[in-house]
Amino acid sequence: MSSSTKTEAGPWLELRQISRQFGGLQALSEVSFQVEEGEIFGLIGPNGAGKTTLFNLLSGVTPASSGTIHWRGQAMQGLSPDRHNRLGIARTFQNLRLFTGLSVLDNVLVALHRQPQGSGLDALLNSSRFQRRQSELRQRAMQLLEELGLADQAHRQASGLAYGDRRRLEIARALATAPALLLLDEPAAGMNPREKEQLCELLAVLRQRHQLTLVVIEHHVPLLIQLCQRLAVLDFGRLIALGTPEQIQRDPRVIEAYLGGSR
Amino acid sequence: METLLQTLLNGAASGGVYALVALGYTLIFSVLGVINFAQGALFSLGGYLTYLLLGGKIGVNGALPGWGLPIGLPFWLALLLAALGSGAIGLLVERIAFAPLRRRGAEPLLSLITSLGAGVVLVNLLQLLMGAEGYAFPQGAAGLAHLPESLLLGGARIRTIQVLLLAISALAVASLSLWLDKSRSGKAMRAVAEDPTTATLLGINSEAVVRLAFLLSGMLAGLGGGLIGMSVSLAGPYFGISYGLKGLAVLVLGGLGSVPGAIVGGLVMGLAEALIPSQASGWRDALAFAILFAVLVLRPSGLLGRRQLEKV
Repeated sequence: MSSSTKTEAGPWLELRQISRQFGGLQALSEVSFQVEEGEIFGLIGPNGAGKTTLFNLLSGVTPASSGTIHWRGQAMQGLSPDRHNRLGIARTFQNLRLFTGLSVLDNVLVALHRQPQGSGLDALLNSSRFQRRQSELRQRAMQLLEELGLADQAHRQASGLAYGDRRRLEIARALATAPALLLLDEPAAGMNPREKEQLCELLAVLRQRHQLTLVVIEHHVPLLIQLCQRLAVLDFGRLIALGTPEQIQRDPRVIEAYLGGSR
Repeated sequence: METLLQTLLNGAASGGVYALVALGYTLIFSVLGVINFAQGALFSLGGYLTYLLLGGKIGVNGALPGWGLPIGLPFWLALLLAALGSGAIGLLVERIAFAPLRRRGAEPLLSLITSLGAGVVLVNLLQLLMGAEGYAFPQGAAGLAHLPESLLLGGARIRTIQVLLLAISALAVASLSLWLDKSRSGKAMRAVAEDPTTATLLGINSEAVVRLAFLLSGMLAGLGGGLIGMSVSLAGPYFGISYGLKGLAVLVLGGLGSVPGAIVGGLVMGLAEALIPSQASGWRDALAFAILFAVLVLRPSGLLGRRQLEKV
């Protein structure tokens, strides 16, 4: 595991002058900010502000048109999504992307690649070492499901889960890759107020237990204000405000962007 | 006089080989959404490799007439190595005909043409090296010599090789299904098949999964070619192409991308062909495609293809 190798100087996660065009559309322009280790960092902004685009850049799905992203001292440009994940960045999706053809347990097992696997020969011979590894992996997966309150549904098809459970399964699956940075894209979407409250508590617990840094996109601003140490506000691809929840709530530019002044 | 049992067993045996070919298509189709038209050529290659590994000699029209291995390997080892050889060439086909297009984000349909081209090149190389003539496998090839020519089963005489063929393809199909279902790399392959982007975001190396699919797919084709060579003969370098086409029909019959569909489709096709009386054997292919036609009219997504099409 790579958690012992984070002794680099400089910011933990740093975006410098990040821009991204899609044809004529400027999805992000010259966005710069830093995220500190261990913090819960919120991203807000109206629809189309570039929040999900930013997540796509941070997880390696799309490259930036210009600018740099440094993560624990390493330049991340040109690295594939699976390299990003192996370096400790995991994410969930706004529109859920579970493997609906697999069971709940298998969704997590598939993502447990950080664990040593044992050789193909072991698998072929079904050796006792291989069987022990298999049962360890299952235990690890069950433990994650337990943490997210899904253990009793482990053997259902993922497609059969209730909506809130699917959101939690995405988190369990992301945690299975043993990330240091977890990007959550609208984790509370479609949840009722009670579920949102529980999610808030759950995220705080998970951050402690898994030593996570969280970057959270959320439309439900009260949730972010309760959860985050710092917030960044995007509007039309620009970073218009950055600060503590109190500072953000008082920022006139934010109020304008949200209440839609003179566009 | 052929009994019903004999007929059914023959049908199941060729159905097993069809299922192998169709599964080869299925693996690649599920991870890339494309058909590898070199599959039939890899089938031919497997047949020729098996022939050579069993100690067969190159004929007079080949590049090296009379050349052959000094010893013949036992049949199971020859089949295994020939399958691995076809798998390796399958990987090469992926490198040459698929990877460059994928890297440029080209339209996936274009790889139909490039893979067809790769298949034509492969078959012509076989023809150059081995000549266009057909080959009968060495009599009593090592390991097979100890086995009786035929077995008495429920009052019917059945060729040993047919039983062997059925057993080997059943074993291959069963271990592939088990692997897909239980192993982590099998689950990774199903994950990539369902959603490649999400799979890579979870740290799964989807390129490695694609290569694995081509390796396994080539191995299945090569094994099929070796088995047919052993039980029938090699009818020239193009013999695999017709099996490739039959496998394609089975793929559609069973349902694109469905593993159980490929197996069931293969058996249906094999049994239907076997039930045609030998006097009317010229109608075999016509029947196969008539079945395909009928199934597609009644069930456009194939016998077991329902879920896949709903997903799209």
